[in-house]
Amino acid sequence: MMTMNAQWQMLCGMAVLIGLSGCASDKTPATADVAVSRAQVAAATSAGAADLAPAEMQAAREKLMRANQALAAKDYKTAQDLATQASADAQLAQSKANSAKATTAADELQNNIRLLREEVQRANATSQQ
Amino acid sequence: MKKLVLLPTAFAMSVMFAACSTTPTTTSQLDQARGDFMAAQSNPSVAANAPLEFKAASDALDRANTAAAKKESLDEIDKLAYIAKQKIATAQEAAKAKQAEADVANAARQRDEIRLQARTAEANNAKAAADRAKADADAARMQAEAAANSARDEAAKNAALQQQLADLQAKQTERGIVITLSDVLFQVDRAELSAEGMRTAQKVADVLAQEPQSIVQVEGFTDSTGTSSHNLELSQRRAESVRNALIGLGVPSAKIATRGYGEAYPVASNSDAGSRQLNRRVEIVLSQNGAPIANRR
Repeated sequence: MMTMNAQWQMLCGMAVLIGLSGCASDKTPATADVAVSRAQVAAATSAGAADLAPAEMQAAREKLMRANQALAAKDYKTAQDLATQASADAQLAQSKANSAKATTAADELQNNIRLLREEVQRANATSQQ
Repeated sequence: MKKLVLLPTAFAMSVMFAACSTTPTTTSQLDQARGDFMAAQSNPSVAANAPLEFKAASDALDRANTAAAKKESLDEIDKLAYIAKQKIATAQEAAKAKQAEADVANAARQRDEIRLQARTAEANNAKAAADRAKADADAARMQAEAAANSARDEAAKNAALQQQLADLQAKQTERGIVITLSDVLFQVDRAELSAEGMRTAQKVADVLAQEPQSIVQVEGFTDSTGTSSHNLELSQRRAESVRNALIGLGVPSAKIATRGYGEAYPVASNSDAGSRQLNRRVEIVLSQNGAPIANRR
């Protein structure tokens, strides 16, 4: 009987522990994910994504805002989901901004090269006359 | 009839059931993510230029596929598929950026190359220009030398001509150079030139050959002895005789005019034999530049 009782106690204790840890594991990662997604939105903003990938940036900001609201409402699952999506959106926005900038730079340089080439050809043509 | 109507209905029913039973759980979001992933997979630049992003996208899609295989809720599958889709797009963009950066580096190299080419071309052009200038200078120098040579030749020729004219005792007058062939060069009362006269004619022909522009007028004169008509005729014949001699020596006939003046324009008094001899003469008037010879006044 004693052993039975002790077993029950242990089971109950474990259940409480698991329940608590479940609570803790829901709250802590959600908070962390929201923080990560906030940092990612900030990084994308400083990469110029607001101009270069406005749709993705808008989605990221909106989801981050909703994630914060869910966090405040202790809806950790929704907060985590939204934070993960906001992170993905922000990363895409930053990636798009970077590729747009690099592409512009490459195009500009190509244009410069074309002009330079034309100039060289013109110079050669005139000096050979 | 009834059987024929039932057959397609049964077929449609079986297809519907088959679809139901074999299709695994999926969502349009997941299908789209799978399509995007295949596109990224078939673009070799993505795996090469954005391996980390591609791996993350692949893992995200795996999670979504696993959720679908476990028949989790459509909402959960959609969420995971959305994440996968965004990560695939991120990988594509990262690859594009990397490619553009490589293009920039390549373009910078190209630009340097073109600049080098331009400088090389410039140097080559400058060298070619210098070569051309040197060639021009050489040509000019040679031309100047040739000109100097021909001027020297001209001067020598001129000197020789002056010498020949001096030999002929030519006198420069306003009508041109006048060469006088005296009476001794003709037999008395005859028009034929003596041997001495022929030698003088030869010298005149030489001068004319060297002066292609020149023309001459041969003028005959006599003393006052005899009738004036005879003298006129004799002077004309002597002038003609000199003309013929010159033609015989190769002077073109068009360049020689003749004129007989008879006893007009004496150079001495006709009062003694010596003076009369001076009056019996032929004068050759030479126009060096081809200008017409004015008649005597």
